[in-house]
Amino acid sequence: MKKLKVYFCCGHETVVKRVYCPTCGTDGISEREVEDKGRIYSFTKIHVPPSEFAHLAPYYVALVQLDGTNAKVTARMTEDIAIGDKVELFNVEDGAYVYKKA
Amino acid sequence: MTTNTYIHGIGMTKFGTHVDRTLKELLLDASRQALEDAGRPKVDAVFVGNFLAGSMSNQEILGAIVANDLGLGFVPTAKVEGACASGGIALRQAVLAVMSGEHDTVLVAGVEKMKHAKTAEVTQAINAAMDTDSSEKSAGLTFPGFFGVLANRYFHETGASKKHLAMVALKNRENAMNNSLAQFTKETSLDEIMNARMITDPLGLFDCSPMTDGAAALVISRKPSGIHIKASSLVSGPTQMQDAADLLSIPAIGESGRHAYEKAGLGPEDIDVVEIHDCFSMTEMIAIEELGFFPRLEGWKAVEKGLTKASGEKPVNTSGGLLSRGHPIGATGLAQIYQLVRQLRGDAANQVEGARIALAQNLGGTGSYSAVHILERV
Repeated sequence: MKKLKVYFCCGHETVVKRVYCPTCGTDGISEREVEDKGRIYSFTKIHVPPSEFAHLAPYYVALVQLDGTNAKVTARMTEDIAIGDKVELFNVEDGAYVYKKA
Repeated sequence: MTTNTYIHGIGMTKFGTHVDRTLKELLLDASRQALEDAGRPKVDAVFVGNFLAGSMSNQEILGAIVANDLGLGFVPTAKVEGACASGGIALRQAVLAVMSGEHDTVLVAGVEKMKHAKTAEVTQAINAAMDTDSSEKSAGLTFPGFFGVLANRYFHETGASKKHLAMVALKNRENAMNNSLAQFTKETSLDEIMNARMITDPLGLFDCSPMTDGAAALVISRKPSGIHIKASSLVSGPTQMQDAADLLSIPAIGESGRHAYEKAGLGPEDIDVVEIHDCFSMTEMIAIEELGFFPRLEGWKAVEKGLTKASGEKPVNTSGGLLSRGHPIGATGLAQIYQLVRQLRGDAANQVEGARIALAQNLGGTGSYSAVHILERV
């Protein structure tokens, strides 16, 4: 079971770490680990990539709604997907979250 | 508060492919047109909007080049960068410079040259407008990709489909067909748009703004003219898709609109003609909702009814928009103003009868910046 870190303050939970909370202005942002599983919130299939990802095209970029949190994470996938599909983290490659269907 | 700043001159090159003209030639051409249109006033400062000249043409110091080659003397100049909102932000800096009392008359110019490079190289360079120190960039998300993800969710939550995006693209092409400065003036059809090559599902070729060479410029001054800049606003917003509280909202657009309406003492119902940042057909759909012209998640219904056509109740992108007028990144925000000034002067392509109040919204990144200007014929 792999874990992802999420950051929480003032009702907003996100995978993006901030210095100060944009709502209350304090640095009292708490963090916790959540499971890497989730569902496809939305996606696109990229046919025209930037040069550094040309060797991967076409590939999917999905926004995954993580289980047990409001946070979402952007992931790369290779399988055909639809909104609502269950997915889980497969690997972290060069800083990218690579997901597979669960 | 209003700005008490006025537009005196406008200039714009044709948008498209300029293989025989350099970045500098385009920049000076638009600037010269704006100065001539303004009656050659003394210029106290220059702001240039540009995004890619450093990375794609190995050229910076654009402000100094404009001042030097136009013979403006030892005036302060600066280049302003805010991705695709560079032009709108440059205008705002010029307005603030006049409002502060420091300068009387300022030249604002925007330029981009992109057509000499390959699509993959341009896509790569444009990705500099994402947070490149993020897992999202590492995942291979692109600019068009962000709006593709947004579009698929929009379809999921509303009755909209790819056909509604095609209607936006078709409307803007129909407007561009009457604009001699536009990049794309060839007739098209819903069928051709729907069946075009896929760029990033569900966005096809016609849903995406093109690579474009071109420049636009304005002269503004505290001295009154027939066009008053009633409000100027700018906000920054989320820089990552995975950080958005609501994927179907681009809060920078909504916030910049609210600020501008408040400063102008106006509401969306007062606006006669609009230029908004349709970098993708989907972006126009979200922007007409965020700016309060139509209810949230119902922009597609307005498009279906033709309300945003030049002849509709809220004409949007009478120039052809980014999709068909073209999108030379740093020039886009000023090309929007160019079209709106023509509308208020009464000699625009797709003239809206009696237009008095106009709004321009210029977006940078995937919602990282949004600048709004409201113009009034006085």
